[in-house]
Amino acid sequence: MGIAENIKENLKLKIQNNLDRNYIRNILRIIGKRPVLAAYGATFSSRSDKYLNIATIKSISCSYNPKNTVAYGSLFLPYEMFHALDLAPFLPEVMGGFTGGLGIADRTLKEASARWYTPDLCTFHRSASGAVELDIFPVPNFLICSNLACDAAQKTFYMDAKKFGLEDNYYLIDTPYDNDESSIKYLAAQLESVSVDICRKSGKKLDIRKFKKAIRLSNEFRQWAIKASDIRKELCMYPKGFDGLNFILPFHGLAGTKDAVDVYKTMYFELNGFLKKQKRGNIKNTGIRRIGGGWTSVSNVNSININNNNLSSSSGNAGSDKVKKILWLHLKPYYNNNLFNLLENNNYKVVFEEISNVYWPVLDPEKPFESLAIKMLSHPLNGSVQNRVNAILKMAKDFNVDGVIMFAHWGCRHSNGGARIIKDSLKEQDIPMLLLDGDCLNKNNSSEGQMLTRLQGFMEIVDARYQY
Amino acid sequence: MYTCGIDVGSVSAEAVILNRQDGKFEIVAYIITPTGGDSKEAATNVFNRALEKSGLGASDMSSVVATGYGRLNIPFATKNITEISCHARGVVHYFPDIKTVIDIGGQDSKVIKLDSKGNPIDFLMNDKCAAGTGRFLEVMARALDIDIRDFAKIFAGTSQKVDISSTCTVFAESEIVSLIGHGVAKNSIVKGLVYSITGRIISMVERVGLEGPVCMTGGVAKNLAVVSALEERLNLKIKVPEEPQITGALGAALLGYPKE
Repeated sequence: MGIAENIKENLKLKIQNNLDRNYIRNILRIIGKRPVLAAYGATFSSRSDKYLNIATIKSISCSYNPKNTVAYGSLFLPYEMFHALDLAPFLPEVMGGFTGGLGIADRTLKEASARWYTPDLCTFHRSASGAVELDIFPVPNFLICSNLACDAAQKTFYMDAKKFGLEDNYYLIDTPYDNDESSIKYLAAQLESVSVDICRKSGKKLDIRKFKKAIRLSNEFRQWAIKASDIRKELCMYPKGFDGLNFILPFHGLAGTKDAVDVYKTMYFELNGFLKKQKRGNIKNTGIRRIGGGWTSVSNVNSININNNNLSSSSGNAGSDKVKKILWLHLKPYYNNNLFNLLENNNYKVVFEEISNVYWPVLDPEKPFESLAIKMLSHPLNGSVQNRVNAILKMAKDFNVDGVIMFAHWGCRHSNGGARIIKDSLKEQDIPMLLLDGDCLNKNNSSEGQMLTRLQGFMEIVDARYQY
Repeated sequence: MYTCGIDVGSVSAEAVILNRQDGKFEIVAYIITPTGGDSKEAATNVFNRALEKSGLGASDMSSVVATGYGRLNIPFATKNITEISCHARGVVHYFPDIKTVIDIGGQDSKVIKLDSKGNPIDFLMNDKCAAGTGRFLEVMARALDIDIRDFAKIFAGTSQKVDISSTCTVFAESEIVSLIGHGVAKNSIVKGLVYSITGRIISMVERVGLEGPVCMTGGVAKNLAVVSALEERLNLKIKVPEEPQITGALGAALLGYPKE
């Protein structure tokens, strides 16, 4: 175990043994000190990962600091607004994911269950609600949610508001189905009205210059995110520790901050360096050549390497030394699992993630609320499922993927509901898709053996489609 | 040139020793044994017994391919391949034109779609429970105190059936106990159970997309009641290998040969 892993494991143990918001606040206060944060950052081998982790710690620390005005926010809100209003955002769904990584989801889920949260509810929300009930999460001043894509937050956040006695500070941003002029106006008016109300309650004046600044930073982030994505279209080998599925916060809670810009700017330069090395041949060029329409016999199936002690992608299975490119849809399991080891061991690489997609246009700082409304309405999960299908097909084409894996997280209607049409649409393009049923947080709700067999079977199917 | 395929499932372990001569494959020996509590021991045992039966030694095997849920736990295997590819390959050996494979084993059931060359192109597996598997039938047979081998005779000779509403094995067992308590004829319960298990399989077949010819493999393929019910519901004849339980191991042995 490396230094970074040791530090993380130690922190995990400490938090597991002291499940209390004051304790977590103290831990964050210590980690948040500049030298400690720098030392913590230095333990990451990937620079992008380092910047992401530092920015994440900073963001969480802010939300645990009682001096700040803290606002709970649901995932798909425009966080540029939060930062323009000087609100420290806290994203219970994302932090629900952290409970899985911290190994405390069993306890938070049990607590939620004891409080009558149905097991049918997505575990991100359920675990977050359990953490609120257990007084692990920070005390908010405001709770803002939307019904964009996922409608669970509007209910669980209201329960949270009741617990904190903040029903009057609970806001629901109603997101229309269509992306048209009237929807933009309707949504922009809500964003403005909520902003004005929060300012009034906070005794502040709405400062439109802060909105403009946040939107400019958001545009800058967008530019770097697109540049980083473009690099990934060619890149086959990544820095050690890099996992695109971890980069959720820059797209959400950090949107409109310099931290989000820095994370993606760093990612761009880091990946560009790898691409240059790859082009120079210092890193094995593992480009894939697809044999058009030529299907190999089933006897060409190779043995899949599942040995976890041998994680080097260069030592993959016999006869398949080419990297096969995977587009990953939705999220991943946040507890320890062997899915990604299995992929890596066999020269499969997740080259892009649905969550890394820049789906919105350049925003106009002069029309902040309208711009943020456009950003929300542009989300592929809003409106018809065809919007998401189109986005996925474009990503699959842009990244020339060999297959698509959709992790079907238990209870996630907005994602799983479209599985059939997504699979059919990809099939029309001759791209195989694996629907991997599981649970991102609750390992007891996933059978790893079955998941590994499905994943291995899928890789065998993809392998059989190529000749080398 | 010999290869061995070993399929370690939750209920039984199978080994097939295969010989290829002049481009033709011949099954030299096969063994089927209960897996028991130790999958590694079961694999070793079934391998040794197959070697003994064939009169060959381990060194005669050019490869040993492991499959089944216990495939990762067989130290002497030269490679491991999923049941999905192995069943597909085993079926194609018997019936080269098959498009859909229904495999019902002790712990899982799966439907595999093949292309015109016998390559698996899609598959579905049952969710993480025993409903729709051999274990389901075993538990129900025990609850009914009926030999599972009599299911086919009972199914063919019974016109009445009761609907078994529970898909969960544990709940279905309780339901059966309750039905017996209410005096419902056991034969009608058997018929209902067979339709219950086939109902789950049919929905998987429909999701993958039914395309004939269809072949059934796995231990449950020996249960003619299930095969008949599936044929009735799919409205087509299902092909079953002579020994459907060794299809996975046979496929593994076939995949042990180098590419031609």
